[in-house]
Amino acid sequence: MKLFSSFIKELKLASRGFYFYIELFMAVIILAVFLLLVPDNFNNQRTEYIYFDMPSQTSELFLQEILREDTDGKATPVKVEVDKQEKDAMLYTTTDQKIYVLTSREDVIYMADKEKKIAAVVKLDGDNTINYEYYLQGYESEKFKNLLKILHVESNETIEAAMNNQDVRPLANNFNVLSDRENMMPSVLVFNGALMGLFIIAAYIFLDRKEGVIMAYAVTPSPVWQYLLSKVGVILVTTILSSFLVVIPIMGTQPDYLLLLLLLVTTAFFSSALGLLIASFYKNVTQAFGAIYGFMLLMVLPNIAYFIPSWNPDYLKLIPTYPMLEGFKSVLLGNNDWLYVLTISSGFLLVGVILFSISNRRYKKTLLG
Amino acid sequence: MISVKNLYHSYNKDGKYQVKDVSFEVANGEVFGFLGPSGAGKSTALNILTGLLPLQQGEVVVGGYDLKKVSNERFNKIGMSFEQSNVYSKLTAKENLDFYRKLFDVPTLDSHTLLKLVGLEGKEHVKAGEFSKGMKHRLTFARSMINNPEMWFLDEPTTGLDPSIAADIKDIIKEKNKEGVTVFLTTHNMFIADELCDRVAFIVDGEIKLIDSPKNLKLQYGDKLVEVEYIEKGEVIKTTLSTVLPEDKRELQKIIEHHDIQTMHTKEATLEEIFIKVTGRGLV
Repeated sequence: MKLFSSFIKELKLASRGFYFYIELFMAVIILAVFLLLVPDNFNNQRTEYIYFDMPSQTSELFLQEILREDTDGKATPVKVEVDKQEKDAMLYTTTDQKIYVLTSREDVIYMADKEKKIAAVVKLDGDNTINYEYYLQGYESEKFKNLLKILHVESNETIEAAMNNQDVRPLANNFNVLSDRENMMPSVLVFNGALMGLFIIAAYIFLDRKEGVIMAYAVTPSPVWQYLLSKVGVILVTTILSSFLVVIPIMGTQPDYLLLLLLLVTTAFFSSALGLLIASFYKNVTQAFGAIYGFMLLMVLPNIAYFIPSWNPDYLKLIPTYPMLEGFKSVLLGNNDWLYVLTISSGFLLVGVILFSISNRRYKKTLLG
Repeated sequence: MISVKNLYHSYNKDGKYQVKDVSFEVANGEVFGFLGPSGAGKSTALNILTGLLPLQQGEVVVGGYDLKKVSNERFNKIGMSFEQSNVYSKLTAKENLDFYRKLFDVPTLDSHTLLKLVGLEGKEHVKAGEFSKGMKHRLTFARSMINNPEMWFLDEPTTGLDPSIAADIKDIIKEKNKEGVTVFLTTHNMFIADELCDRVAFIVDGEIKLIDSPKNLKLQYGDKLVEVEYIEKGEVIKTTLSTVLPEDKRELQKIIEHHDIQTMHTKEATLEEIFIKVTGRGLV
């Protein structure tokens, strides 16, 4: 009953304060950005500009080759406008390319210069050999440049035959994949839930310290752990609200919502217990800022590995946000991987309980601090 | 009752004690005052008695509870009013008191009754953050009575308050004491101590220099004087004479017999004067 009263009081205080709305406001902003600005999948189509410097009967052979891969089987006449200059072109669209066939060498050079894209001129010499001129941007790797150099040494047929002789077998093919937009959600959940919880609970403690109310609570028969747990409760409520506000409109029915709830509760409990412990060492938010900022930076590191899988050192796996990201990803995929999520959740719950117990002991001893 | 034996406390645990070998007892129903200048150790001792600071060394029993054995139950018998107001500024006056009522295991006073008692009737639904300093202090004071405490700890209960509010607070303390509440207060205001306390302890640099009732202290340390204003040859003369010294007594008798007396007052030494005399230190 005392715990419930404390929790209701904390909810009232939070709802009349600033921090409560930060998470919800952030969630609304993230939702709006994701729905309105972030595409479901990022566009991987390359844009290329080509000019065929050769008689039309010869160039027609090249164009027919391109047309075979065109998604709608026909070229579209377009005007490409760059810096208020219009250039006539024929657009060929394949699954991974947008090829603009321009009408002059000058136009190709202009597009390479202004659009910062790779452009090419395919030219038929006097002795009827085909020459390829590439206009690069300077940032291309040596490997790419070397590839261009050898690309036309062998015939296309030889290269294609060599590629077809490669034995490529998928190790698994019965798995779900998140779209590019959905793939960003684990990061959002970790940031908006766990990391914000760490900062906001510390802010709540410092507000109470400033008002001195923690001392008034200390001379009542209610134990300090109830005071601390009621604050954790507010963090859990805001984390669940703000997370579901983002997840439901974007992910729909795909995630395991029960597992998501479990993982949100345990990770938010862990991070708020950590926030309580950090705050117990400082008198005000200014003093604690460096420590909180340091912890948040450390927690952000696994996000980098999440988006750049080639950088994934072993020590990152020791940072709590690493398993958080993996857990949220698994839940959002809707894999029904109960064992994995339960294992992670139990870990966060256990560590959270330990941190909370240490915090409780520290607050009992440092009420006047 | 409160029993304190050989109490020591050092904030940094470095051998520099803010409270040194403090011993005293407070009987049930007594008003006991810790009188001393700022930094003397009054609040440190008070915070140990209320459990806000851990007991490092010594023996302390409050209301039958030994402070070496931690028990939150004892707070049902204790009320504590802080020197600095500490209420939730985002909650209304009533919400503040209603919340604290639910934290006790004993019957509590109605929030409305408490607010009326401290002159905050009609302010139930005003947020404490909108209160003046005096109103916040009254709310903090009201909260300390919420559980009908048997032991009431008051840290500088009237410091910084305007005289009329201070007078109200003093009246409430007197009233509660009449009901049998034991009061332990700290103050550096000798008038408050003189008016309210059955006994006072003078504390300087963490050490108790003396414990006695204000009346005994005045009898023991105060000079017995009379201040007289009389007319002589058309002029008002003012003089102070001892009621103990024979020559002063004769002089006083002569003035009464031969002159027109304008005013005549007996003059007692104040607690502050006695404090300075005993400790060699001022109260500020």
